[in-house]
Formats: sequence, C-alpha cells, structure tokens
Amino acid sequence: MLDLQGLVKTFHPGTENEVRALQGVDLRVEEGSFVVVIGTNGSGKSTLQNAISGSFFVDRGRIELAGQDITRWPEHRRAALIGRVFQNPFSGTAPSMSIGENLALAMRRGERRTLGWNAFFRRSEELTERVRRLGMGLEDRLRNEIGSLSGGQRQALTLLMATLRRPELLLLDEHTAALDPRAADLVIRLTDELVREGRLTTVMVTHSMPQAVSLGDRLVMMHRGRVVADLRGEEKRRLRPGDLLDRFDEIRRREQIDPSVAEMLRETYV
Amino acid sequence: MTLLLGALTLGLLLALMALGIFVTFRLFRFADLATDSILTLGAAVTAVLLVRGASPGGATLAGAGAGILAGAVTGLLHTRLHINSLLSGILVMTGLYSVNLRVMGGSNVPLAHVPTGADRARDALQYISGVEVWSFSSWEIPGGDLAVLLGILGVVALFGFGLYAFLLTDFGTALRASGDNGQMALAQGVSAPHMMLVALMISGGMSGLTGALLAQYQGFADIQMGVGTLVLGLASVIMGQALVRSSSLGISIAGAVMGSVLFRLLVSIALRWGLNPNDLKLATASFVLITLVLPKLMGSWSNRKEAPHA
Repeated sequence: MLDLQGLVKTFHPGTENEVRALQGVDLRVEEGSFVVVIGTNGSGKSTLQNAISGSFFVDRGRIELAGQDITRWPEHRRAALIGRVFQNPFSGTAPSMSIGENLALAMRRGERRTLGWNAFFRRSEELTERVRRLGMGLEDRLRNEIGSLSGGQRQALTLLMATLRRPELLLLDEHTAALDPRAADLVIRLTDELVREGRLTTVMVTHSMPQAVSLGDRLVMMHRGRVVADLRGEEKRRLRPGDLLDRFDEIRRREQIDPSVAEMLRETYV
Repeated sequence: MTLLLGALTLGLLLALMALGIFVTFRLFRFADLATDSILTLGAAVTAVLLVRGASPGGATLAGAGAGILAGAVTGLLHTRLHINSLLSGILVMTGLYSVNLRVMGGSNVPLAHVPTGADRARDALQYISGVEVWSFSSWEIPGGDLAVLLGILGVVALFGFGLYAFLLTDFGTALRASGDNGQMALAQGVSAPHMMLVALMISGGMSGLTGALLAQYQGFADIQMGVGTLVLGLASVIMGQALVRSSSLGISIAGAVMGSVLFRLLVSIALRWGLNPNDLKLATASFVLITLVLPKLMGSWSNRKEAPHA
C-alpha cells in the first residue's frame, strides 16, 4: 500500500521562477489498486511521481510504502520497492549493454551487487523465457545492444525490467507518450497484462483520455498541485472520455471566474 | 631489436594505465586529469619505500594503494561536492604535485643501487632457465630485458582478464550501467555516483601501479615522469577502439592494450626516423586529435556517399 500524506514541494522557492508544484497532496493507494493520474500541463502529476520515486525530497509531508516510511530514503534505495517506466524510452535502459545484461541488472533490483557472475550467465533460461512471453521475438536477440532496438521495444523491455522482480509499487510516467500509436498500443496491452497478472499496485500518469478511461480501477485528476477529483469503482467504470473533457472544462471555467469574482469583491468592498 | 623490445615493454607497462582509463573514460566518459600526477605518486611512493629497504612487491602494492586513494579524492570531489569533473581532476593534479615532492623529498629518487622488481624478474628467469643472454637467430637479448618484458606481459594479462571478469560480475554490470545511463542505474537500485567513485579508484590504482612499475623499470622516480601520460592513455584507448571496431567488452579491453603497444611502437619509430624528442608531446597531442576527429570525418563522408539524393 502507498500512503501519501500532505506532500508539499516548491521549486526555486523565493525566486521569480518559484513553482509550487505540490500543494498538499493526500493519496492512499490500496494494495493491488491501479490508479491512473491525469491533469493539465503543470498540474503536478509528474512531480508527484518523482516525489514518490525519490528524484527529490518533498518539503513537507510523508511517504509510506509497504509499511515503511520512505520519505527520506535516497532514490536508489527506494528502487528496491519501486519499479519505474519513464516517458523517454531511452531513460529506462542502458543502451550500450545487451538486452540480457539489462535484464540481469533488473533481476537484482534493490539487492546488494556481489562479485558473482551476473544473472545473464546464471539464470539466462529464466530470462529468455520471460522475454519470450513478450511475444516480440527479442528472445533470440538477448546478446544485441539495447541501443539497436526501437522505442517501443525498449519501452516493453523497461516494463518487463520494472516487473521482473515484483515491485511493491509500479510507477508509469506517461510511458507511451513518446511512442507511435502502434507501439503505444502494444505497450499499453502489455502493461495491462503484467499489472493484472502480478496484481501490482500501480500509479500511472497519462495524457491520453482513452487510456485514462479504459485502464485502471481508479482515476485521480490533478490541477495546480492538488487532487481535484478522485473517481473509483462504479463511477470510474462508467466514465467516458467526454466526461473527462467536461470536468477539465469545468475546472477551467471555475478558474476564469475566480479572478473576476475577486475583482468584483475588491470593487465592492475596497 | 633493443628498440623494439623497449617499445613493447613500455607499451605494455602503459597499457596498465590504459586499462584504468578504459574504465573511467570509455565507461563513464570521465577524463581524470589527475592521472598524470597519480602515476608520479605511485612511482614516488614505490621508489621511496624501495630506498628504505621495502620489498619490491610491497612497495609496488603501496604505490598502487596510493593511486587508489588519490582516485578516491577526485571521485569524492566530483560525486559528493559536485565539482565539475575536469576541475576535480585539475585540483587533485595540482595538489599532488606538492605531495609528490614531499614524498620524494626532492624532484627525483634514483633506484640504481636498490633491488627492484626488474631485478627480481631477471633473477627468477635466470634461475628457471639458467640462461643469461637469449639469442633468437642473430639477435641477442639480455636475460634481464626479456624477464621484464615477460613479467609485464604477465601482469597486463592478469589485469586485463581480471578487469574483463570483474565487469561481467553483478557488481561490474551495475558499474557499467551507471556509466551508460545513470538514471536507469538509479531506477534499478544502483547508486550511480557511488559507482563512479569506484571507477575512479580503479583507474587511480592502475595509474599508481603503472607508476610503481615504471619507476622500477627505468631505475628512478621523477617529478616530471607523469606529464602527458593521460593524453597517451586516452590515445591508446581511442586508437584501440578504432583498431578493433567492436563494442564487445573483451575485445575493447584487448583493443586498449593493443592501442597502447602500437602507440609506443609508432613513437619509437618516429624517434628513430629523427623526430626531435622535444616535439614528442606536440606530436602525441596532434595524433590524439587526429584519432578523435578522423572517425567522425570518415562517418560524414560515408554518409554523404550513402545518401546522394539527400
């Protein structure tokens, strides 16, 4: 279970570039739940993911995962609990190393690295089998450099690497945004399959309305560093892309009203 | 023939340093400018210990150990204090100059009258074979020179295969990944900065070892002996890569060794043909420049050929 309590993060505080990226986010993700996070640009949805993965420390608040307070854990230590897939297909793999070696590395995510031969030597049959199940024919190319693969193939492998050892939390950061439609479709299907199969606790950020509607059992909408909507169960299942757009419009309208209301109030009372 | 033998020996010796530079430069794209001073440090520590009566083996180990520590300083400056990579190297290089003078108590330490590793190697070969001067058809090679060459060859083979094996372990794989994609390493639970520190310590240790052996080979340690060796090591690694044209780990490591030896041979041929020794560093720098630029130029030429309609 992931429990976020009152997360606050401000970048460049006290300067003119100050960005109040998270302004008190509370979110509790139950074991085995698949949460889709959507939001406008700059809403803080990616910041939220980076706060969880440990790219930076939050200013205030508490992050608990699998019963442990990880608020002050460095990024590489959190990796023992968290599997990640990035937006950029180049971020998740080591390009000049072979497919097998990348997987070998993921096989020991969060474990002590010893002077024994890497897992590509020790457990190569197991690795081959896992790659075969991707159905991409990559199992015959385990010795090839990852850098020679397409973005979709790399993203599928990153996904496999993130789940090779069962993570307490799977973080997907717009992981299909940089792919062509066909590859995106493939990666999404694979995501759904792996999450279901492992009953993985998952937080996925996306820009895609169809993905937000069709995936996951809960939808969280963020705006200006806060959670503004949280749909689950029946409500989430009934959701259509049009409903989401309406919600966004509603938020935007409310914002347009706010300054004018403030203006009116000032004129009346000052 | 003596020329060839000397070039081979020196080339193999410097190949040890090239192996270290392979780790920092090829795997982490980090050119540690302190390498020059670390080589001198290794030589200084070893020479001083030898003069004080230490065994050649112990003194050599101490020289390598000093190199590891110096590499750690560069690494800590860069990874903990976030000082720019070149600047960390320059700071350590500059500081070590004084350290080296202090260690040696002057600008050089002669080893003419103390037993060194080179003497040990000669004695060992003579003991085993009972031959003092080896002759191959018309060439006569003093047993001492042959012994040193064989000894160095053994050390290079040991460290070359050792490095290869190390990089295939779990730890070594994590180290390579840290250099290749730090973000990915972090996501897999590997602290990339920590691995960079380890890489710099390995490289420092190899430079220190090279200095230690070099001092014993040439019979003295000198404050200037490290000058320009980083560029030389880079040249070896880059040339080795150009030679083998392979991304395979083992072949790349072999390439670095071959590059170092080949480079030494080229230098001695150039000197033989009348290159003024004073011009040697300029020639080396130019040569490195050419090896760096040439592959790119060739690439753009062949691209133009492949895409005539573009």
